Formats: sequence, structure tokens, C-alpha cells
Amino acid sequence: MSTQTTTPEDAPPAASRSGATAIAAVLRRSAIGRYAGVLVGLLIVSLYLTITQDTFLTWNNITNIVASNSVILILAIGATFVIISAGIDLSTVSAMAACALVFGLTLEAGWAAPVAIVATVAFGLFIGSLNGFMISKLKISFLVVTLGTLSIFQSFALVVNDGATISVFSTAGFGPIKEFVNGDLGPIPTLMIFDAVLLLVAGGVLRYTSFGRALFAVGSNPEAARLNGVNVAAVLLAVYAIAGLAAGLASVVQVGRLTGASPESDPSMLMTVIAAVLIGGTAYTGGEGGVLGTMIGVLFLGVIQNGLTLSDVSSFWQGMVSGLILIGAVGLGMLRGRGIRIRRSRASTAPGSGGPAPGPA
Amino acid sequence: MSTVTALAPPLVRITGASKSFPGVKALDGVDLTIRRGEVHALTGENGSGKSTLARALAGMMPPDAGTIEIDGVVTAIPDPKTALDLGIVLISQELTLAPTLSVAENVFLGRLPRTRFGAIDWPRLREDAQRVLDRLGVHVDVDQRVGDLTLELQQEVEIARAMSTEARLLILDEATSSLSEAATDRLLTMVEEQRDAGVAVLTISHRMPELYRVASVATVLRDGRLMGSYPLPETTEHQLVARMVGRELSDFYGKRAIPIGDVVLEVEDLQTQDGQLRPTSLRVRAGEIVGVAGLVGSGKAELGLALGGAVAARGTVSVRGRTVRLGDPRAARSGGIGFVPDDRKSGAIFPTRSVGENFAAAWIQRFSRGGVVDARAERGAVREAIERYGVVTSSEHQSIATLSGGNQQKVVLGRIFALGLDVLVLSEPTRGVDVGAKAAIYQLMQDAAEQGAAVIVISSELPELLGIADRLLVFSHGTIALAGELVNDAALDEETVAHIAVTGQPPVAAR
Repeated sequence: MSTQTTTPEDAPPAASRSGATAIAAVLRRSAIGRYAGVLVGLLIVSLYLTITQDTFLTWNNITNIVASNSVILILAIGATFVIISAGIDLSTVSAMAACALVFGLTLEAGWAAPVAIVATVAFGLFIGSLNGFMISKLKISFLVVTLGTLSIFQSFALVVNDGATISVFSTAGFGPIKEFVNGDLGPIPTLMIFDAVLLLVAGGVLRYTSFGRALFAVGSNPEAARLNGVNVAAVLLAVYAIAGLAAGLASVVQVGRLTGASPESDPSMLMTVIAAVLIGGTAYTGGEGGVLGTMIGVLFLGVIQNGLTLSDVSSFWQGMVSGLILIGAVGLGMLRGRGIRIRRSRASTAPGSGGPAPGPA
Repeated sequence: MSTVTALAPPLVRITGASKSFPGVKALDGVDLTIRRGEVHALTGENGSGKSTLARALAGMMPPDAGTIEIDGVVTAIPDPKTALDLGIVLISQELTLAPTLSVAENVFLGRLPRTRFGAIDWPRLREDAQRVLDRLGVHVDVDQRVGDLTLELQQEVEIARAMSTEARLLILDEATSSLSEAATDRLLTMVEEQRDAGVAVLTISHRMPELYRVASVATVLRDGRLMGSYPLPETTEHQLVARMVGRELSDFYGKRAIPIGDVVLEVEDLQTQDGQLRPTSLRVRAGEIVGVAGLVGSGKAELGLALGGAVAARGTVSVRGRTVRLGDPRAARSGGIGFVPDDRKSGAIFPTRSVGENFAAAWIQRFSRGGVVDARAERGAVREAIERYGVVTSSEHQSIATLSGGNQQKVVLGRIFALGLDVLVLSEPTRGVDVGAKAAIYQLMQDAAEQGAAVIVISSELPELLGIADRLLVFSHGTIALAGELVNDAALDEETVAHIAVTGQPPVAAR
């Protein structure tokens, strides 16, 4: 049955797996190939910064990178679900601003931290579900819906407190939140552990739940998913609800780090979130990707930003560099995939006369 | 070879044209000569290579090997623009209109008349377009958006555009399939006019009476090979059909004697909301394979869609006495009906996922408990299925997009067969599949029947229905036009069925 020399390519399909093929299979299943290029890029940049900047490879700097990119990571995890479904959520940063105001107001009103957090996350889930409802049930284009709610959520954040920032530093509930965003568990920052847990949960949902399976099916071919008994509308609704949930969680971290709830949001953040997902190998065409890649994408952009800061380069350059990396990474990924795609399109136009199938009108 | 039109000089001479797709040889050394002032019919079953040849001439799909001579000069036609410059115009069933533009703009797309100042001459455009449409007898407002027209009118606009060009070779690839009889008649009259004006015409059609009306020679293709060219009308329809179908493959189907059990599927007055399927009733027994034949638009495809819950429908469908809710694929599946749609690419394959996930996509509910998938059990089932359904793949992790059409189809069929459902509705189960995979698929279908499934096979390939089915239903105008046992029913001998399915009507003697 199993032989040590068998490579996965010529292994008979039913052969039991040897050690070598098991490792190869794990690598393949984690789809390392999809973001190998970005991983190599991240390592090269890190190596360069390690050599040129003494402060780069210090525990302090690493935890700083993680802390300053946690908000991006949390939003990007939510965005990964949306993009796998072949959609996009343009409202995610605005949703976070709206949630931040809800969080700030509840803290200001004297709510205990856990209650305020639950309320905020529930609010995020609710406004995400609004997106999901309009997209899945009313069948309005996700671009139109989330562009509209981008504006609506942002405006909501301004309206509820008349455009003012709420300082939460002296509120009763802020103590545990400060501990959460700035504290450590042993040598490891709590936020890093939280991020890791979130990645594990999201990755597990994508890979090991029936929802995850259905999500990839919907993103890959919604009609085939429907014909195989997948409730496409429910999957889409859930995906945008998850993005809303992520916005709620991200707002907690954001408010904690800024010690205040600001209705203004960084205009470049949306680009960074979506760029991180795409750089991490999740295809904007849907049906492909994962949160591990997203993490690499966030780290890549985060390390670049950190490197520019350490090298005393003006932050004005940040956007140019991020944009180039996005186009470069996605472009290279497409070049790699093109071989398969051409073969596929040829096969699909393959033989046959009689023209296309008579579809349902 | 025919010598009927030997006097006219050849306009186009194709020698040894070959074209391969992964796993399929669509054209295999085909020769074809088309003369000026001749209407040449290209005939053959679906998948015999007719459209591939037409596309090669129109520069849409250059052949791998062989030469094309035009006026005796070897000419490469690498792209559609070259073909148009040579005066080769293709009208196909696949429309190439711009839906958001007006009728007039579409008729003169790419050659809009200009004023002295280089601006578009709108009054002249509308006038010219009106004239072209009037000649064809198409009554449509030249200012209307093409996307708002019915399919038939769109097809007529497409034809008007082709007819308004200075074509030397006009290729009609199933151009009449969505036209009414009156519109077809007008088109054929124009074809005759063009022919008499010295234009060469190559026509592909399933409708035999049309071919006999306009064509003087018919070339028959089968499985990408040239069967011969025959003069019309000297060669009879029966002779042509026999050439197209070919009978030597009869044991290729490996038809087994499967015991037939109780009625499993009962369908009462099933009809689709869009009217494509008119009230249709039928019963299928366990172990029985029922073939459904008919032309495009006959309602046979909609029967499959309605049974599979893919489209809104009315009527009653019951499986083993239990009524199945219509219009919902999940209800159909849980009611015991497995449906495989005809278009693998748009309705069945998850192109970005692996072979394993493509299998498991149909089994999500089966292997999950409390929303969590039992990955180990699922993997075991996938490996078993890969072996059982003979999918050639390096492992379950290989991307399905890299597989041949035949192997993809084995996955699509296998994942439904593996569910062990009472009823299987398979629409075009061997479309775009090579010969070897076809034979394997026929065996898999019979395995399923042997395990007690009631199987409905909807197909445009008549030989496969004759080879595999116990009973045949011939669809026409939205419902069953003719039904009968293949083995015993004398009224439904192979020739008659072939005739009905190819021509859409019974042969003269049976009328």
C-alpha cells in the first residue's frame, strides 16, 4: 500500500498516506502555494529590516506591529468571509465607526465592560445583517448596498454624538478594556492571543463546518450550490453578518487603544483591509482563500508600514507602497493561475454543435 | 463525392482540418469544398464537429492542422476580423448583439455611416437599417433597445446585420432554431436570393425540410470525421440520418437486462411557470431507464429543471407516494430526486475547488453533525467515490478545473449517484465527454438502475438514448409527442425515432 517514495502527484488515489505525502498534503491543503509569493516577500522585507534597522527584530517592535494592526486584522477576517462569497463589504470601516460610538456611549452611560462589549458586538451583528438582508433577500448588488451603508453608518456615527469624540478613559467600564488591549498574559500581549484565537475560530469555521463548505460552494458557483441544496441566501446573509460582527469586535479594540470613540475614520483603512485579504490569496472572484493568507497579508502591509516609519520615510509614501504591493501581488497570482484558466476556458468551448443549452429562459 | 455542382468554381476548399480539445478530437482530417452559388448543408449529430468547422471558417477557432483555400489560395483565418475581411459571415445561435444599443446601431455595428464631419449620420443610419429590416420582413422599431426584444426578434436583427454585409460565404449555424416558421421562411427566401446572386452558403440545421428546400449538397460528419458528401434531394432523409447516426456502436452501451420494479416516480400535469414545459404526466418504475428526446426548445430540458426543483413549476410530483414540493432544489433532493443539470460549467462544477470538495458539495448535510463536518468520514467517502466512479485524478486535492470534461462529469454524476436516491434525472449526462468516458457513464447509470433507482435520461444524442433506454419519450412543443417501449413497440422502431428526433416530426409514411 504505502511506500515512502510515493509523491502525491503519482500516488494512486486510494493509497494510504506515508509521512512524506502527509506533509505535502497538509501544505497543499493549507494552500501554502497560493500565498507563497507573499510569504517570501514578507520574509525578504523582514530580513532587510532586520539588517538595516536595529530596532526591527525586537519583541517590543513585534508586539507593536501586532497591536497596531489588530483592528485591521479583525476587519480583514470578516472581509475574508465576504470576499470568499464573491462579494465585497465597502461599509466595514464605517460600521466599525458606528459600533465605536455605540461602545463609547454605553461606556459613558456607566455600563459594565462585558455588557457594553456584548451590546456593541450585537449592534455590529445587526447592522451587518442589514447589509446581508438587502443583498441576499432583496437581491440588491453588494456594491450598491455596501456603498450606501458606507455612507449611512459613517453618518450615523457622526449623528449620534453630534460629531464629537467620546472620551472613555475615565469611565467605570474602561479598566478591563485597557487591560485587554494593552495588557499581557505572561510575556504575550493579550491582544495577540485574542487575534490568534480569532484566526483559529475563523479558520475552523471555514474548513470544518457545513457553513464553511457551503460558503466556498456559493462563492465558487452559486447556481451549482443552489442545485446541490445549499441555501444561498442564508449563506450570504451570514457572511455580511459576520463582517458586521468583526466590525463590532474591531471597534472595541479601536476604542480601547485610542481611549476614546471617534466618529471619524481613517480613509485609507478600507483599502488596507481589502488589500490585505487580496494580497493574502483570497480571490476577489470568490470561492478561494482563507484567513491564514489574510493574516500574512495584514502582516506584510503592517511590516512595510513599520519599516517606513523606522526608516524615517514620510508616511505619505505608505499609500503608494501599499497600492503597488496590492496590484503586484494580485497580478502575480493571476499570472500563475492563467495557465489553468486558459485550459479551462478552452475545454468549456470544446466540441459540440447545437449551441448553448436551453436554460430556464 | 458529389459532382452535382461541379460546374461552379470552388470558393472555399478545406483539406484535412483537425482540431482537438482536451480528451476530444472535435475534427479529424475533414475535407470540404463549398462553391459559389451553392447552398451546402453540413449535417451530423450534436458533437460531430459541425460548429467547430463553422467556427474555424469564421476565424473563431483556428484548426490545429489542415489548410483552408479561398479562391485557390491557401489562407490563414486566425481571427474573426480576417474572416469578415474575406467576406465570411457567420450567423450562429449565440447572439453577438449589444443589448443596450438600438436596433439600428446593432445592424451597422462597427460600420456606422458618418457625415462629412466625421459624426455619426443618425438619419441615414435609421433609414438604412429600416431598409435592411424591411427586406427581411422584420417589423421592429429601429430605435428600440435590442435587449428589450424577444429572443426571436434579436435573432432576426442578427440575421439582418449579416445580410446587410457584402458576404461571399454565409454560414448559418442553427440560425433558425429560435425562429418561428414564418421568420424561417423569410430567411430561407433571402438565402435563395443570396445563392442566386453567387454567394456561397454553408448551413447547419437540425430541421431537415429546410435543408431539402435550399441545399444542393449535404456533407455528413460523425465524431469529427467526414462520412461523405451527398447530392440533395437525390439522397433521402433516411439515408442521411443513417449516415449521421451510424449503428456499429450498438454494444458500446453495454445494455443490461435490469429487472423492473414498482412505480417510483409519478408526475401529474407538471408544467413550468414560463410555459416551456406544458402539462406533462409520466411514471417511471424502479430499475427503469427512460430516455427523453426532443429538439432544443421542445420542453425536454425544462422537464429536468422542473423535476430537479431548479425552476418554478406547477403540478404534482411524487416519489414512492410522497409528494415532493416543487421549485426548490432542496425539497427535490430530500424528496428523493437527484438532478444533474445539462450545463456542467454553469450549473454543476465548483471551478475553484478540489475534486474532493466537488464530490462533497452534494454531501454537506450527510457528513455534518451540529454544523461541524466529519472531515475523516467525508474524506473516506470521497476516496471511495473517486475509485468507484473511475475519476482519473492524482488525488482528491487536485483542482477540478484541471480535469478533462469526462472526468469532471464523473464527479458531477457520482456525487449524486452516491446519495442512493430513488429517482435520478440526468440532463445531457454525456455532453462534451469523450467516447471512453461515455461508455463508463452508461455503465454507471445502469449500476444506479440496478440498485433500484428510476432513471430519466434527457439527451440530444439520439444514439445514446436508443442504446441505453428501456423506454423513450419524444418531446415536441412543450410536452410528450410520442412515447413507447424501445424493445417491443413496432411503431417506435429506431428509424422512426431517429426521424422524429432529428426532424421534429414523424416520417411521411407515419403521418
